[in-house]
Amino acid sequence: MASQLPITVKSPPPAASVAAFRPKKRPGSPAASGGQQAAGGSTGSGIKKRKGPLVATPSTQIQATANETTAEVKAVGSADGGPVSSESTAKPPPFKDHTFMHSGIGGAAAGKKNRTWKNLKQILALERTLPWKQNDANYYNIDSPPSLKPAKKYSDISGLPANYTDPQTKLRFASSEEFSYIRLLPTDVVTGYLTLRKATCVVP
Amino acid sequence: KFKNASGQVCQIFSFKDIKATPDPLYELPGQCLTPSPAPIVIDNGSFQTRAGWATSAAELHTPRLLFRSVAARSRGAARSETQIGNDIPNLEPLRWLLKSQFDRNVVVNFEIQELMFDYVFTHLGVTSEGCVDHSIVVTEAPCNPLHCRQMMSELLFECYRVPHVSYGVDGLYSFYHNNNQRNLQLPQTGIVLSSGYHCSHILPVINGRFDAVNCKRVNVAGSQAATYLQRLLQLKYPGHLAAITLSRMEELLHDHSYSAVDYHGELEKWRCPEFYEREVHRMQLPFSGKVPGGCVSVEERQERRTQQLRRLQEINSRRREEKLQQDQERLDRLMAVQELLEDGLLDQFHKSLVELNMDSAEELQSYINKLQIAVDQSRQKLLQSDGGEGKAEPAFNMAEYHQLFVGTERLRCPEILFQPSLIGEDQMGLMETLQYVLARYTPEQQEALVSNVFLTGGNMQYPGMKERVERELLAMRPFQSHFKVTMATQPALDAWFGARDWALEHPAAGEAEGWISRQDYEEKGGEYLSEHCSSNAFVPLKVAKPAPARPAEPSATSQTSAGAPADIAMVTSASAYVSTNATMVTT
Repeated sequence: MASQLPITVKSPPPAASVAAFRPKKRPGSPAASGGQQAAGGSTGSGIKKRKGPLVATPSTQIQATANETTAEVKAVGSADGGPVSSESTAKPPPFKDHTFMHSGIGGAAAGKKNRTWKNLKQILALERTLPWKQNDANYYNIDSPPSLKPAKKYSDISGLPANYTDPQTKLRFASSEEFSYIRLLPTDVVTGYLTLRKATCVVP
Repeated sequence: KFKNASGQVCQIFSFKDIKATPDPLYELPGQCLTPSPAPIVIDNGSFQTRAGWATSAAELHTPRLLFRSVAARSRGAARSETQIGNDIPNLEPLRWLLKSQFDRNVVVNFEIQELMFDYVFTHLGVTSEGCVDHSIVVTEAPCNPLHCRQMMSELLFECYRVPHVSYGVDGLYSFYHNNNQRNLQLPQTGIVLSSGYHCSHILPVINGRFDAVNCKRVNVAGSQAATYLQRLLQLKYPGHLAAITLSRMEELLHDHSYSAVDYHGELEKWRCPEFYEREVHRMQLPFSGKVPGGCVSVEERQERRTQQLRRLQEINSRRREEKLQQDQERLDRLMAVQELLEDGLLDQFHKSLVELNMDSAEELQSYINKLQIAVDQSRQKLLQSDGGEGKAEPAFNMAEYHQLFVGTERLRCPEILFQPSLIGEDQMGLMETLQYVLARYTPEQQEALVSNVFLTGGNMQYPGMKERVERELLAMRPFQSHFKVTMATQPALDAWFGARDWALEHPAAGEAEGWISRQDYEEKGGEYLSEHCSSNAFVPLKVAKPAPARPAEPSATSQTSAGAPADIAMVTSASAYVSTNATMVTT
């Protein structure tokens, strides 16, 4: 129950710090107390990204229990505002390594700049630079080639095979009723149909 | 089925709009811990994640968890308030907040992947401290980029501290499972056509090993079909923009769409009006109280026009009445003057004439005649206009206004898999790609491959898909050659079952084939892959890993370049399959 004592002492600051936190990097101090935390158990784990300013404030003696208490205080704080169940959802899962951080989302060198994950295009661009051989299969190699058969034309309105194209709107149609319908369409719908088959003209 | 106004049978449906129910927090079953921890099998799909245990217990033979691979977190909320999968009852209100760890069919966002793993492990009942003490089988994309595998291995080994990891391709697991069920002889050869949510693949398997060099991917699948259907209907029904949601489109694709065996022939049938009336699916939208005219529509314009006409008519008739009165008064006055003449009061008569500005009695008479005619005519017109009415407004059917007519869209959307030009993609369609892939093999190999064509994946579940593939295969194969097409027994779930079968038949042990141990991860790097019958091919290139944030952490996986030749030797000695990878040894 020793961990209960610091709660009353610390109740004012976490109210501000819980609201004010937003660090994405953990400083070195959790690593030092990481060993203790493994023994400290589940309650301290998981709020891995928020321990930065909170850990800095308490004194070194209660640093080992600080992580626990911050977790509990956070849980208490959320419990004050909401029902008891919020305490269990705020609790992080026990089976993780709470000090883990992805290396993909920036590193020490990248600092504050590199906070987003690479999207597929960037990853593939990096992959291309690796020394692939002629016969190696990689993600962009296995893309299917462009079609060799000429594309069949279908009406934009009904999907039936279309023999005619309206010169004014460039929409394809299959009968005269469709044609009169096309001529009554507002321009945004016309553009919508053309965008659907990627036929909008970019040239002004 | 109902009868519409003209007495014909027509089909009216309503959207089910199924709500997701939250997953329970299961208790960890005893047989998954003793005698040894059971592996956890996760089919990590871009549409749906399926997770469960690989154990022989009867009640655990299906995936425990099936949920959409989406996470939603509103902007101000804390990280712990992210809702995942089935926590979200209806996706539509949160559509703009939904995030997925996938970009196309590859995992790129590992924070969200971490949330997904947390969800899976928590709901499966894992409570061990500091690590997840079960081996993990995870699916990955065919030819998954090395960087992505590196990140995934890092997440699994360093965050969750799992003992062993195995990666495989979902289509190949499904192939494995179905071949076992059909008791086909090992080693298996065949060609897998797997169509998922973002991509469709052609995966040739030769002698039990995936021939990665010759596989191909078409970037058209379920999500493109859903977006296409949504845009088609939104353009057809601009008044119902908000009601045409992606969830409802997915429902239409799952329940109301089919794949035509002969696309042009089927379209000809739809030209016929009776066929159309019979086969069009009318989706009844909930009544919204919206009379046509949120925006200016044709009906509103007509209404306005009739109102204006009525107003004009009223004004005209009032004017006519006034004029009639004036004319009548004037006529009476003139008649009175004429009477003066008849009565013989000549002086008064001449005085009145001067007042009226007339010269003679004849002028007066002609005026009187004209006025009389005008009065008679206007009286007649008044009578007529009182009797007649304005044009009746066109009849307006409120129920039909709230119906979406889904006709040819039912077969156009599944068709994009075979003709990507429908959505403007210039890639080859699925069957043309199959032809292209087959052409890269010798005729004997082609025969072997087409004798076991296997269809799998959620996007293959349209009625008529198997017959369509057979028909197109018949067209492209030599005359009177043999082929066989099989559909997976459960196209969406069989990948999970295959992975589970594989895990049960290949238990994780130190150097077991197909498993990556913690030691392997640390020595060979995160991008290492241990090949097996349902996995990708591993190309041992060293990928530079960004340095972790904390220099204190012993980074055993930091980049090296000296280890490369040793790795190649290790891999080629470990791999025993017959394929074109022999060229790697030459370096």
